[in-house]
Amino acid sequence: MRALVREGADTIFGYPGGAIMPIYDALYDYKDRIRHVLVRHEQGAAHAAEGYSRTAGKPGVAMATSGPGATNLVTGITDAMSDSVPIVCITGQVTLASLGTDAFQEAPIIGIVTPVTKWCYQVTRAEEIPYIVAKAFHIAKSGRPGPVLIDITKNAQFELFEYDPEETFEFSPRISKTPPSLDHEVEAAAELLNTAKTPYILFGHGIAISKAEKELIAVAEKGGIPMASTLLGLSSVPVSHPLYRGMLGMHGNYSTNKLTNKADIILAVGMRFDDRVTGKISAYAPNAKIIHVDVDRAELDKVMKATIGIHADAKEFLQRLLPLLKKRDHSAWMSEFKKLDDEEQRVVTKPELYPKSGKITMAEVIRVLTEKTKGDAVIVADVGQHQMVAARYFGFRKPDSYITSGGLGTMGFALPAAVGAKMGNPKREVIAVIGDGGFQMNIQELGTIMQEKLPVKILILNNHFLGMVRQWQALFFEERYSFVNLDNPDFNKIADGYRIPNELVKDRKNLSKALDRMLKAKGPYLLDIYVKKEENVFPMVPSGASIDEIRIK
Amino acid sequence: MANNKKYLLTIDSENAPGTLYHIAGTMLRKKINIESLHVAEIDPKTHTSRFKIEIIVSPELIATLTKQIERIVEVVHADYKETK
Repeated sequence: MRALVREGADTIFGYPGGAIMPIYDALYDYKDRIRHVLVRHEQGAAHAAEGYSRTAGKPGVAMATSGPGATNLVTGITDAMSDSVPIVCITGQVTLASLGTDAFQEAPIIGIVTPVTKWCYQVTRAEEIPYIVAKAFHIAKSGRPGPVLIDITKNAQFELFEYDPEETFEFSPRISKTPPSLDHEVEAAAELLNTAKTPYILFGHGIAISKAEKELIAVAEKGGIPMASTLLGLSSVPVSHPLYRGMLGMHGNYSTNKLTNKADIILAVGMRFDDRVTGKISAYAPNAKIIHVDVDRAELDKVMKATIGIHADAKEFLQRLLPLLKKRDHSAWMSEFKKLDDEEQRVVTKPELYPKSGKITMAEVIRVLTEKTKGDAVIVADVGQHQMVAARYFGFRKPDSYITSGGLGTMGFALPAAVGAKMGNPKREVIAVIGDGGFQMNIQELGTIMQEKLPVKILILNNHFLGMVRQWQALFFEERYSFVNLDNPDFNKIADGYRIPNELVKDRKNLSKALDRMLKAKGPYLLDIYVKKEENVFPMVPSGASIDEIRIK
Repeated sequence: MANNKKYLLTIDSENAPGTLYHIAGTMLRKKINIESLHVAEIDPKTHTSRFKIEIIVSPELIATLTKQIERIVEVVHADYKETK
């Protein structure tokens, strides 16, 4: 406990059980220093730790018992690995003497999580704990952040040892895998950008991780370079910034995708050319020289061969780049974006945002939500159509405002992650935007929200379908709707059961007032909104197609 | 794959349980078969082990794979060369 407190842990998301009882007994004496949040399923603990980490700016902690407790964490751990989110998981384990005997609630969790953690370690002696806890936090947050897991056998939890609060630990850059200092590559990058005719900045989660939002904007402004974001980069740049052109990828914007293939120099910072961003690789950015900056060396040349690959922290690189850039303006290039943006506005955006009749659209809900929150809220999105709609249409103004499961695409992420996000930064309004499918994947966390009296707002965009899969079946599988329709329970009655105030909106004329009531509520609030059943998210780059083939309808 | 070649990977790491498993797992992810394997401690003072692993992969993949192996916390250094 003291080792945890020293690392700045003030909140633990956990679930007790046999093999972690000695730690829970110790936790009893630390109630004044550590707030333990009793989740309703260990998967919720891992996602809550992720949400916490994203808004608190320090690793979230999840705790579980051995066996099923530990294995239930695995989806959240893998999610954190995909999205570079620092979390520290602590699991109980059977005693050292019983390891490998198929003891009650024994699971080889180290073996299970080795491929999906940045680091994991089994503690079998109590005296290892201070060093291992310090090392775990250090590894989780340094270099490219990620999840770590400490598995503690029950005998080690019972053992007593002399804790030295003065003892400090140092870790070499080799362990934290931090990049070496920058060299002449920055000059080479500046030279390319200074001669570019159609330069383009692509940024990702790395900007938020290294807190390089200001530096990124300064570089774009000085070079007059348009920029676009990956899903996880969203909110690092306010959507109102004139050089910000929107989102990349499968459901990104029309201009941002199309013009990737017209760029002559691409500066890619803190992004990893995910297949959902690039589409067909052989037809991606054929005319561009690529400057790729990433804190993880293994990302360089993994997908796209870079002309200049720079192993560096985004902030440090951008700070070094800024004085080397010439002040430039690319108005002709910018107007190409404008042209395509106008087309998207006309064909997709306007009709979705301002429908005149028919059922409520997901897009208009997000539009009204933006108007009412002035773009200030933290949106925690689940996975599916609503996630893409929220990404496309919420008017982000502040960094760290869009939290979602990007790389792994974990349905069920949003509800527990919203719990963590609210606890990581209680001052901000946290709104979980969830589909009716994903909501039911971790619906049990309503219990956590009730018990903690957490003022999390839950917005269900309910189309009674697994909407994204249905969309694919509609477009690519001849409308053979195979197991995508959902007979849902009455979510309002469920919320009543958890004593969470709630409302159902079916009609456009009630939408605005209902959102007002949700936002005004002091405590948690659930708003179930029935939206158009068969709505497709466009633009869309069909799976396996080139970004050039992006469909606008 | 037509352009696959045989490579010898040399990996120095902490002599710690689970490291071989982690390295082998990095290969399993890409369904790479290990053709030969030798491991021994080379420095008892620093408890450094050296792995020598032969695999057959493409030139592009061996570069990325080596960097992914170097990402493992216990790994100190990884390098590769083509063999016959």
